[in-house]
Amino acid sequence: MDNILSVLIFFPAIAGLLGFVIDKNSIRAYGISVAAVEFALSLFLWATFDGTSAAMQFVELIPIVPDFGISYYVAVDGISLFLVIMATLMTLIGIISMSVKNEIKNMVITLLFLEMTMVGVFVSLDVIVFYLFWELSLVPMLYIIGAWGGPLRVYAAIKFFLYTFTGSLIMLVGILFLAFTYYDIVGVWSFALTDWYQLKMGVNVQLWLFAAFFIGFAIKVPMFPFHTWLPYAHGQAPTIGSVILAAVLLKMGTYGFVRFSLPLFPDASVIMIVPIAVIAIIMIIYTAMVAYAQEDIKQVIAYSSVSHMGIIMLGAFAMNTQGISGSIFQMLAHGIVSGAMFMLVGMIYDRRHTKLMSEFGGLALVMPRYAMIFGIMLMASVGLPLTIGFVGEFLVLIGFYKVSPILTILAGASIIVGAVYMLSLFKKTFFGEVTNEENKKLLDIDARETFSLVPLVLIVVWLGVYPTPILKPIDVSVSSMLELMEAKAVKPKTKELIASMRSEDKEEN
Amino acid sequence: MENLVYIALFAPFVSSLFALMFVMVPKQTFVGIVASLLLFISFLASATLAYHIAMTNEVIHVTMMDWIVVGDLSIPFGFVADHVSVTMMVVVSLVSTVVHIYSIGYMDHDRSFNRFFSYLSAFVFSMMVLVMSDNFAGLFIGWEGVGVCSWLLIGFWYHKKDVTRDINPSISPSWAANEAFIMNRIADLGMLVGIFIIFWNTGSLQYDEVFPKLAELSPVVLITAAIALFIGAMGKSAQFPLHTWLTDAMEGPTPVSALIHAATMVTAGVFLVIRANPLFGMEEVAGVSYFIASLGTFVAFFAASMALVNRDLKRIIAFSTLSQLGYMFAAAGLGAYWIALFHLAAHAFFKALLFLGAGNVMHAMHDELDIFKMGALRKKMRWTWLYMGLASFALAGIPPLAGFFSKDAIIESAFNEGSLILWAMLVITAGMTAFYSFRQVFLTFHGDARYKEFGIHPHEMYTYVLIGMSPLAILAAIAGFGKDWFEGFITNLLPEYEMSEHTHHLASILGAIVLAFAVGGILLAAFKYIKGLKRSEKTENSFIYRLLSNQYYIPQLYAEMISKPYAELSSIFWKSIDMKIVDATVDAIANVVYKSGDGSRKMQSGNLSNYLAWMVFGAVALLIAALISSAIG
Amino acid sequence: MIGLNHYLIISGLLFAIGLMGVVRRKNLLMLFFSTEIMLNAANIALAAAGHFYNDLSGQMFAFFVIAIAASEVAVGLGLLILIYKKNGTLDLDDLATMKG
Repeated sequence: MDNILSVLIFFPAIAGLLGFVIDKNSIRAYGISVAAVEFALSLFLWATFDGTSAAMQFVELIPIVPDFGISYYVAVDGISLFLVIMATLMTLIGIISMSVKNEIKNMVITLLFLEMTMVGVFVSLDVIVFYLFWELSLVPMLYIIGAWGGPLRVYAAIKFFLYTFTGSLIMLVGILFLAFTYYDIVGVWSFALTDWYQLKMGVNVQLWLFAAFFIGFAIKVPMFPFHTWLPYAHGQAPTIGSVILAAVLLKMGTYGFVRFSLPLFPDASVIMIVPIAVIAIIMIIYTAMVAYAQEDIKQVIAYSSVSHMGIIMLGAFAMNTQGISGSIFQMLAHGIVSGAMFMLVGMIYDRRHTKLMSEFGGLALVMPRYAMIFGIMLMASVGLPLTIGFVGEFLVLIGFYKVSPILTILAGASIIVGAVYMLSLFKKTFFGEVTNEENKKLLDIDARETFSLVPLVLIVVWLGVYPTPILKPIDVSVSSMLELMEAKAVKPKTKELIASMRSEDKEEN
Repeated sequence: MENLVYIALFAPFVSSLFALMFVMVPKQTFVGIVASLLLFISFLASATLAYHIAMTNEVIHVTMMDWIVVGDLSIPFGFVADHVSVTMMVVVSLVSTVVHIYSIGYMDHDRSFNRFFSYLSAFVFSMMVLVMSDNFAGLFIGWEGVGVCSWLLIGFWYHKKDVTRDINPSISPSWAANEAFIMNRIADLGMLVGIFIIFWNTGSLQYDEVFPKLAELSPVVLITAAIALFIGAMGKSAQFPLHTWLTDAMEGPTPVSALIHAATMVTAGVFLVIRANPLFGMEEVAGVSYFIASLGTFVAFFAASMALVNRDLKRIIAFSTLSQLGYMFAAAGLGAYWIALFHLAAHAFFKALLFLGAGNVMHAMHDELDIFKMGALRKKMRWTWLYMGLASFALAGIPPLAGFFSKDAIIESAFNEGSLILWAMLVITAGMTAFYSFRQVFLTFHGDARYKEFGIHPHEMYTYVLIGMSPLAILAAIAGFGKDWFEGFITNLLPEYEMSEHTHHLASILGAIVLAFAVGGILLAAFKYIKGLKRSEKTENSFIYRLLSNQYYIPQLYAEMISKPYAELSSIFWKSIDMKIVDATVDAIANVVYKSGDGSRKMQSGNLSNYLAWMVFGAVALLIAALISSAIG
Repeated sequence: MIGLNHYLIISGLLFAIGLMGVVRRKNLLMLFFSTEIMLNAANIALAAAGHFYNDLSGQMFAFFVIAIAASEVAVGLGLLILIYKKNGTLDLDDLATMKG
């Protein structure tokens, strides 16, 4: 299985093409089986992955345009491996739980294409190929929101597309400039990220490039104040679109920060710690408050996504293993939890065709199983220990504490404000008397819905109790990345700072 | 012995999972019985461990597996059974067992009977994790775990709807549950910060690695760590200003109030201070410790004052819990850790008994809680009367009951430290405690049978429930005699606390003063209430009475000063800033692009003549630009 | 003495007249005439400059331009006739079918 990564990338796309000849009635089964095979492949990838090594693994390198150093270059390490697995898992679960009825064939095929782009983004090490997948991922999502969305779907879809596309274009300028800088210094063209990692650049150049990449990634994350496309996109997207968007697409932005911004521009990253932390804290507190003011369940969760992404951003810029590993772990946690949350909202929307909290109340009485799973996910979302949500949040905060205690305390307010909006959502929706006649005859979740939610519940608990299998490879890769950053930083202050972020005891032992 | 640790820890967990299997089906009595049995097994294991440790002085330390390992941060699931944790384990598992048995009777008619046992056992499991953990992160797991179980159990009757504060000061069970959770979260942030400080300065979170290294740290670090941890303790133990959730938590079923909001969870903060005594006992943090003692004393007095006028049976006991927690913090802050722990245990017994007795009354009175509507119940409920009377005597500190020994020791240590103000306040509070306890007993069980007006026919609780309560009654009565033995046992781990020669000399006088206040309080209550209720409009409308019965208007203050502004600010953030500024800016940029395209569309008139004119215009403009640029450069 | 400047001035004037005709005239035929004027203005300038520098390529270019103008007129007039047959007018305002 030397080219397992290529198989992982292109299998869903080819299967999607074949999907055009499949009968409409069996397309869902077809989609589920393709996604299941893909998921099994990604698990196989994990099984054969060497978690103790920080090196890039399963490398495939095929030159495409040798004169300009562009090649098909894919590989995984501890940072990307689990994002790939999460992408395949959420696609599988998403297709299983999908309740779309019209044009289901197009939906399944679109999702399979989307899966290709998502896997492609996380495994590409050639920047041009990365950019290709990055932009391609917009198209299926544009289609999903624009074709299956709510009343404002066209506005939301176009806003989503143009906003993120503008950001990516600025990033493209950065990419080209960086490639040119590389050519200037080294004398040959290369778009291989591993080559770029070795490049030392002046602080000024780093800052400009950081800014270009920042805009591309920040809009995707989305960071305050670039976040306003998200509530629209989530508000209008069908359930499956929201699930994939929240679980995987947003992670591309934060993954980009960890994969590109940090190791490519260590000095600029260190300079930007405080500004980014301030934005992250605004994201955490401000959007949590906005979430509290919402009337629509789905919007609460959409804004809560922004709030949680703030935690992830904060961890990514903690410049120590705890913070960055926590940040990556939190990406996974948020993917699972917010994906499940959006699925849960979708289930109630399928029943009542409304998502307004004021329409509900007392649902725990009529839908106890649903309420229970919602409760578990809610607790994971507010970061209860022994659920997946705690591990990442705890690591991020403990990591960032080393950078700045004050900012960490402010960011730590997330455990308070998060509880405020989530508990008030739960109270308004599930507690109290059943006041609305229509809610009295609601059915509890059926077998298919249970089947799609229970695996997520199990993951939430499993990774909350025993995160080591995932944390270990992440930790190894992050440590080596930090060493790289320290080695290539041009300012002595940066080197000092990165070195000081390890706690003192380690060197002595 | 290691297996016993696991049995003590996981028996409640198994019990919770077992009950969870039946959560969707109607009441199954055997669920309650199995849960009680499993809890009893946990108690037996804890008691065996306690016996073993008492005999051999051997600390049992087990590490189950790694939890979080990143970089040099390594947190295992490690559990330790030493003198302190085993004391807590015995208290927790014993009270839990009794409460489980009690709940079989109390929750008899509730359709969520099975769910109740699942939650209750899950709480015990979390509490066991909290007390047994060998590191701060594990403690935090239990800490949050009990928080969630408390949330679930306070909001157990989630279907009740919100009412105004005038009708029910707690608004609704689900409201009270959220309040408790969120307030605890505020404190938990402090706790987390404390954990971070400890980790980055000692490189570990294990108690046995952290505590030896404390001596090397700078005073600033120690003080901030102590403050941060104590903020955590303030939330769980409902110390001022984070105290309002505790009385609202009385919305939960009464067994929950007995177990969680009296005997175990709320004492977690005290436990934390006792557990971290190497930190709080340091010279450098003496200021913080003294603050803890002062705050504890203040809360003892403050809560007792609110209990004086309250009419709600459970709320009176809740205020008294708050007040007794204040006593515990006073002792812990003064360095008398073992006395704090002793009072914690004794309090657990008599307070749980008191609550369970109140539960019997509620059961008899069809969930009526207003003591003004009771009276003369002793004729119908002799055993409950005896139990509650006994517990109230213990609470008031009448010898030879448990409360006398523990509370007296706390007051004595306050005197010993030379803080006469604290001492005086604690003594006065002891008198107030006696008064409100017996005001409640007399109004409930003596005097005229006011309940008849409301058509209620009270009846005594099931016999097996009354028998189930007896261990608590016995312990509340005799636990005080174990004081000397306990001191010898626990000071193997906790620092000893020596009374000075001077205090020792005055001990009997000091004891007599406290006793005099207590007896005085009882007599005053008897004088006012034993004959029946005589309400006076004038007193009830007086400023102080209204201030006290409205809890100093603090809940209203929080609602007006925090909840409402928060909601309004959120709304402003969303509607004015997010929609009108941030999003509008984005749309404005998009609109500029769109409008400029729309505007320049007119150039595409289709008229060749216009195009040519534009071409000429463009050519001339370019020519001029070229001229200017050549002229400049 | 008539120097280069005079030729260039006359060329510039002719060009301006042509340009004005292109911009102002609405009849396609007139537009053609105007472009011819502009081409001839360029021719004068080319020939004059060629003479001034004693370089024949200027005059050579002028011949090229004349040849191209002739062929352009041949094709262009043919198109004009077709347009006239199709629309019955050569007025540009009536021919605005590509309005965006």
